Amino acid sequence: MKRVFTLFILFFFTSLIFAEEPEKGLKWSGYLQIDHRFFTRSGEFSFKEYRLDLQSEYKTSENSKFFSDIWVRSLGFQSVKTSSDLFSKNKISPVDFEIREAYLDIYGFLTKNLDLRIGRQRIAWGTADKINPTDNINPDDFEDIWDMGRHLGSDGIKATYYLRNFTIQGVFVPNFTPAVLPLPQWSSVLIPPYQIMELGKDYRLRNVNDRIIMPENNIEDNMIAGLKISTNIAGYDFSLSYLYGRDDLPVLNYLRIENITFAKEVDVVANLIYPRMKVLGADFSGSIGSIGIWGEAGFFFPEEVKLKTSYLGLYTIESTSLSDSPYLKYTVGMDYTFKNGIYLNTQFVHGFVHERGRKDLEDYLTMQLEWKLFHDKLKLIPISGALEYKDKRNYAIIYYPSIEYKPFENTLLVIGLRIIDEKGYTSFGRLKDMDEFFVKAKYSF
Amino acid sequence: MRIAKLVLLGILILCISGSPQDTKLTALQILEKVDETVNAPKDKDAKIKLTIVDRKGRKEEREMIMLQKGSNKRLVKFTSPAEYKGIGFLSLPKEVMYLYLPAFGKTRRIASHVKNTKFAGTDFTYEDMEAKNYSESWVPEFLRMEENQYVLLLKPKPETKTQYSKMIMWVRSENFYPSKVELYDKGERLYKIVTMGKVEKVGNYWISKELQMEDLKEGRKSIMETIEIKLDSNLSDELFTERYLMR
Repeated sequence: MKRVFTLFILFFFTSLIFAEEPEKGLKWSGYLQIDHRFFTRSGEFSFKEYRLDLQSEYKTSENSKFFSDIWVRSLGFQSVKTSSDLFSKNKISPVDFEIREAYLDIYGFLTKNLDLRIGRQRIAWGTADKINPTDNINPDDFEDIWDMGRHLGSDGIKATYYLRNFTIQGVFVPNFTPAVLPLPQWSSVLIPPYQIMELGKDYRLRNVNDRIIMPENNIEDNMIAGLKISTNIAGYDFSLSYLYGRDDLPVLNYLRIENITFAKEVDVVANLIYPRMKVLGADFSGSIGSIGIWGEAGFFFPEEVKLKTSYLGLYTIESTSLSDSPYLKYTVGMDYTFKNGIYLNTQFVHGFVHERGRKDLEDYLTMQLEWKLFHDKLKLIPISGALEYKDKRNYAIIYYPSIEYKPFENTLLVIGLRIIDEKGYTSFGRLKDMDEFFVKAKYSF
Repeated sequence: MRIAKLVLLGILILCISGSPQDTKLTALQILEKVDETVNAPKDKDAKIKLTIVDRKGRKEEREMIMLQKGSNKRLVKFTSPAEYKGIGFLSLPKEVMYLYLPAFGKTRRIASHVKNTKFAGTDFTYEDMEAKNYSESWVPEFLRMEENQYVLLLKPKPETKTQYSKMIMWVRSENFYPSKVELYDKGERLYKIVTMGKVEKVGNYWISKELQMEDLKEGRKSIMETIEIKLDSNLSDELFTERYLMR
């Protein structure tokens, strides 16, 4: 509640400050979004979110602009368990807020060709659709795993210099922020259970105590810096990028196995760290004939992470949790609009966001077919989904058709279904019993 | 010698009857004059209200700013309603188009398959929204004079990528500003009618302050009204870049 209170204080004073010069105009906009999902098998709620998005924009001068994007949300469910919880409004109706972005733009800084953006911001690199191997500056926000490509904002500075047909962008983020992991019921898609190979699959984890070790609290260990050069050649947009970053998903570097019981249960103590990584990226977009095409690749140079596994304190085995061998993730895609207005978008993805190391990269095929009718009032999405393919025996299919309808101006209603099927063992296959029906309403203002 | 004179006379008669009678202009000259007139201002900075009227007479409104420089650079940004606010569209020479969607925070180059899709729920397609120089992309043929208006048939040049098979354009003879354009689909059926209304002289230039696009198949129309316009305000080339599109 303190955070919500702080937010409203912030709004209040922001309004007062900007109200002094109304002719310059503080502009508010945003949306209200209600998102409810249910498991088809049990009928139980699987996800519930009321989101109020508030965006403010204020032109501070001819060459500068302030922008902020804030979410005020009720996410999840009441967590009342005892009578004392009934005195806590946050347990009855949980609310949180988040500053997604808040930055100042300065155009033509020092020289007319240089723009600066200072503050919390989203820096979206890459030309692919939502699955971008070169988009590694902002931490991933996996809170809602079906909202692909969502990232947190990063507090930093972005300088963009325009030189003829070239755009040169430098980015500096002084503080490292880890990724937000999916809500508990979905987390298995990114985090497989601790595998204690030496003990075999029969053993079950009883207690897991893990510890996240953040980078040292100094700029050298925290900083993320990147450089990107973009241009246009022969009708194609190209860019090359380099990022000195840090993996935003934790990697296991210590595991202690304790208390093996006769019921084949074990307790585990684990340490996880965020290793450094460097990414050399390239992307392009353009068209062949009337078909839109794009491609994006990230060549990852990870820092090696050794894993020490201690068995009952008797002996320790060292293995490699993350190899320093470079690996390549890439996405290639195309889109096309047919004469009847049907739009097709498909992508081949090698290496999903959470996959690390050459051996762990899997192949995915995503596809979406949309049909807009009645002048965009109705959008049918009969085909939407992805195929995760390891081999003939291990694959998963995610299929989520939906219907979007705009009954009034600024209003959007969505209903849809998400079905997951699998064979063998795959990341998304771990969600196979979690088919969902979803409804969403959004009003923009 | 006599035969030669007769041939010359015959050619002269043919020329007079086959071309605009008053001016002896060829169809291409007329179309070039249309381009000169429509694109006469060095640049335009306009605030536009766009009203969409459906078959049942229900209306929806959009507001946008439109900047144009010369005949081949145009930038459009929606200012309302909320669901479209911030969406930007940049049209550059050689059929290069970029779209900016604020939700994604980056621009996207529009492939030509998008050109024939409707622009933000209006009756204008992306192609209709491009800055135009007709004589560069279309081959004109003089059809007739009709109430002091030249009537031209325009067919696309082989290299022109368009959703239309032909256009028939009515051009006011007194100022070379088009008054109406019929747009035909690939099956040569009349598809849309563009009407340029409220043609006024602003400074030294002729400007249409009300452009109506009627979709005959859908029974709808979109009306673009110019609320404010500034001409020749020396708009910088930098405004017609991805850099500005994202601002």
